[in-house]
Amino acid sequence: MTNASEVLSSIQSAFPGAVLDSRVESDRRLWATIDSNKILDVCKHLSSKLNFDHYSGSAGVDWIARKEMEVVAIMASHGAHQVVAMLKVKTPRENPSVKSLTGLYWNANWYEREIWEMLGINFEGHPELYPLLLSDGLMGAWPWRKDFKGYPDLTTGERAVAITTTEGYTEYHFPPTPAEIEAGTVVTQRPKYPSFREREEREIKSDSEMIMHLGPQHAMVPGPFLLDILVEGERVKKAFLDIGYIHKGIEKIMENRTWLQGITYTDRMCYVASLSNNECYCGAVEKILGLEVPLRAQYIRVILEELSRIQSHLIGTGEFLTLIAGVGFAPWQYMIMDREKIISLIESVTGARLTHTFVRFGGVRNDLPEGFAEQCRKDLPYMKSRIEEFIELFAQDPIYHARMENIGSISAETAKRMGCAGRVLRAAGVAYDMRREDPILVYPELDFDIVTGTRGDSADRIDVTLREILQSIRIIEQCLDKIPSGPIKTDVKIPKKIPAGEAYYRVEDPRGEMGMYVISDGGDKPYRVKVRGPFYATFQTLTPLLEGVYIADAVAIAGSMDGCPSESDR
Amino acid sequence: MDGIIEIITQFAAQEPAIFALIIGIIGAAVLSAVVNVGAMLVIWADRKVMSDFCNRFGPNRVGGRWGILQLGADAIKLFTKEDVIPSGVDKGVYVWAPILASAGTMLVAAAIPFGALHIGGKDYPLVVANMDISAFYVEAALSIMSIAVFMAGYSSNNKYSILGAFRGVARMIAYEVPMGVCVISVAVMAHSLNLVEIVQSQTVWNAFAQPLGFIIFIIALVTDLGRVPFDQSEAEEEIICGYSTEYSGIRWGLLYFQEYNNFLLGSILMALLFLGGWNGPIIPIPLLDIISPMIWLLMKVIIVIWFIILVRASLFRLRIDQVTDLGWKWMLPLSLVNLGWAVIIGSYFA
Amino acid sequence: MGISDVIPVPVAIDEEIEKWTIFGRPVAEVWFTTTEKIHQIIEMGPIKNIFNWGRKNSVYFLMQPMGCCGVEMFVFGAAPYDSDRFGCIPRNTPRQTDVMIISGYLTRKYLPVFKNLWEQMPEPKWCIAIGECAISGGPFYDSYNIVQNTGDHFPIDVFIPGCPPRPEQFLEGLINLQEKIKQRKDKRDY
Repeated sequence: MTNASEVLSSIQSAFPGAVLDSRVESDRRLWATIDSNKILDVCKHLSSKLNFDHYSGSAGVDWIARKEMEVVAIMASHGAHQVVAMLKVKTPRENPSVKSLTGLYWNANWYEREIWEMLGINFEGHPELYPLLLSDGLMGAWPWRKDFKGYPDLTTGERAVAITTTEGYTEYHFPPTPAEIEAGTVVTQRPKYPSFREREEREIKSDSEMIMHLGPQHAMVPGPFLLDILVEGERVKKAFLDIGYIHKGIEKIMENRTWLQGITYTDRMCYVASLSNNECYCGAVEKILGLEVPLRAQYIRVILEELSRIQSHLIGTGEFLTLIAGVGFAPWQYMIMDREKIISLIESVTGARLTHTFVRFGGVRNDLPEGFAEQCRKDLPYMKSRIEEFIELFAQDPIYHARMENIGSISAETAKRMGCAGRVLRAAGVAYDMRREDPILVYPELDFDIVTGTRGDSADRIDVTLREILQSIRIIEQCLDKIPSGPIKTDVKIPKKIPAGEAYYRVEDPRGEMGMYVISDGGDKPYRVKVRGPFYATFQTLTPLLEGVYIADAVAIAGSMDGCPSESDR
Repeated sequence: MDGIIEIITQFAAQEPAIFALIIGIIGAAVLSAVVNVGAMLVIWADRKVMSDFCNRFGPNRVGGRWGILQLGADAIKLFTKEDVIPSGVDKGVYVWAPILASAGTMLVAAAIPFGALHIGGKDYPLVVANMDISAFYVEAALSIMSIAVFMAGYSSNNKYSILGAFRGVARMIAYEVPMGVCVISVAVMAHSLNLVEIVQSQTVWNAFAQPLGFIIFIIALVTDLGRVPFDQSEAEEEIICGYSTEYSGIRWGLLYFQEYNNFLLGSILMALLFLGGWNGPIIPIPLLDIISPMIWLLMKVIIVIWFIILVRASLFRLRIDQVTDLGWKWMLPLSLVNLGWAVIIGSYFA
Repeated sequence: MGISDVIPVPVAIDEEIEKWTIFGRPVAEVWFTTTEKIHQIIEMGPIKNIFNWGRKNSVYFLMQPMGCCGVEMFVFGAAPYDSDRFGCIPRNTPRQTDVMIISGYLTRKYLPVFKNLWEQMPEPKWCIAIGECAISGGPFYDSYNIVQNTGDHFPIDVFIPGCPPRPEQFLEGLINLQEKIKQRKDKRDY
């Protein structure tokens, strides 16, 4: 098995002088600063020789004091080894520009676009550098730079000026803020989106084609995003995706909150998987601090995260069922009913239905209440029987099979290449699960299977989801048996100011691999928090999957991915 | 009392044309009242029964714990909504589509017998227009709704609407043919196209005499009504509300209402053609024996309605290409097989 | 405005009708004056109460999940909380809805879309703001992309605080809205 120092020595021997600075944190983490001219070669070497076939995301960091910017590419492997290489490339703050990795990794596209629109780092060789998350008005302001003047902006709503276009639509113009005017950084030249009319003119070739909006408000979308499909009759010929309708700028906000306050924002990133997000952030901070979490707290975290996974899967599957069967379909209501049982279990511990803020640095907020284990032992077997019933129901239904089989199929190779996460990846047959891959808490001591599919189609995705619930139930039952008594928080006093350092921490979110890259500069606030969201990764693969399917299938495919636009937009 | 009857008979003898006109207008008013109230009850039943299947209560805040006045509230709201006619629509077609839909259902209602009165050992069917070809006429008039749907979708100047309209028409064409063949099969066995005679000829229910035709007819009927699994023309999660996306207020209310009118009339047609209509043992209680045929018909209709609602709660929606495939590749050949079967059985028993 | 705007007649007939007179005044004028009078009578009289009874018991909301509250909105419409009891069901097209639920953060990018949806809804219509984000920006109050005061853009009748509020609170907000409609105390005076 490869470990981090072997990877480092391999790079150093292949490209002498390419590694400017390096740190081997553990067997699984490698931090290296690479010469910006050689980054492409190093990546090529990593992917071809060392099995780094998983481009897991990238983060841009604005080091204003050092007058430079950094792009950190996060590389990993789909199960060949467990090393995560964090490759940093430095570029000067004036006219920042680095080489694009889109030629090597297909899924680098969105990550780099995001860095470009937020920090203004140009990517040489990127095929489509146009805005992803931001609206036109903010383009060119580079909001994630440390010297962004429009922040905090408390007057957005008051300043909005409504303009009625010639076509009768309302558009809003946001004049510059007083801070921007004072600093003289009012943006005049802005890159623009391709507008809908331009897209229509460019893409529509014949009279029988039209572009149809599915979103931002549509019965299909689990949150606002715009899926434009170019249809000829009932066939989808091409699909375009615009996201960012609920971009809240969480990463920027967290830089302006204390370390503890940051936990509340991770809740609101993906609201049906708050506990995993909490865990991811707290885990990263614990790693910087070098904290050891007491055993009981670890078990409590695992129990709650698995419960949270069950409820997330249930509501995701429920929404999916409404998409392919209509709201009158009874089983989805049963799923929501069952989910309430899980919600009340979680609520009895955390006190909230969705946004828990439960995990703390070095422990959890409070202990399990009395009678929790008994209630769990009562509810979980019921849940198990229900899930088995659902699996049987879908397995037997001929219409379901006619609708779902071989729809949106994705092969294991394609799924890996496109960097899908979670159920999409596992349904394609790749057993890639963070609970095994990068084990945290007490997961190594627990016995569970990684559920995989065979065909990688929509039916498989739902099947994998439901069978994962069974595994989660298994994990919780083991935890309830094994959980020791003891403290739920570490004795170490958590300092207000976290010592300088950086960490990358990965957890298995209900939607797949979630990672957080946290940098501390020794202050009472994080210097930078970068979120690698699982749905953001999967979302990118939606458009290629939709080519050539029927409209009804397009809806089914999008639904089977269990979308959470709030997390992809952040 | 006698005096009034005398005056009426005198008037009828003197002015037969005007008398017929007056009777016709009264008949139409009574008929539409009966059908519309019936459809409102169907909507209410749909909401309540669906709620029950979904583990919910359904409307229960107005009109007592059963929420009977819920539809009254909905109707008042829809009547007092703003009447939006979007700027890009083809106005004439847009406005006339709901009206045509209502007219279509009333045309169906005119020829459908709503039961019979059993007086003196004889059945007197309750039908406004007792035509010789009523079975065929009803089946044809049921498909006027599809034309209204196409008008609504085409005129709305909306992409979802036009797709809904196309889907509706593709579906109608694929299923109207097998449905017609099934009606012919029934007519062949009854030696008549008159619905009253078809009912009277059913000593054995047609559902047992030609089970294949029964199954095909009920699938085609669900398709015609546009309910799950055949609700592609208004598939909410794909094309918002299909053909009625741009309709609001009472215009949408009318379109929505006609679907349920059709639902009711289609269920009655089903009961008449295949479930023996109002045939059944006469209840030997004075007064009740007069309306006992109607009680039988009502029970059968309720069972059909309940079945179709249950289908909606338990099946997935098919894709439009699968729907047309099923129609042309399975329903049509099988309905022809059923026609052959009906011819053989019919000539054997005749 | 001609008669063809109100009842479905071809424009040619409309033009013809405009030439007709009744009591020395154009027919169209009489027609519209009468309609206006009828409206005034309705506004004053007890018949308005009947209208409002219908409206309050049949509020269809626009299904539009936007944030955390969107998930709770989903549950609010489904089996466990069953908004259908109050005659409140989700519809997907703004043309057929009566109440718009702002269920989360309103961003700069989404505001124009949202305003269009609001304008597409036929009168009478109401607006409910759910959750801290929709009321004041909530935890994202100082974000560069969030519109903090949605009240500037929409006439909001009921504010439901919480982050996110529980579905029970949704129900209470709905009941409050119904009460407002009944007492004719809503923002837009129906």
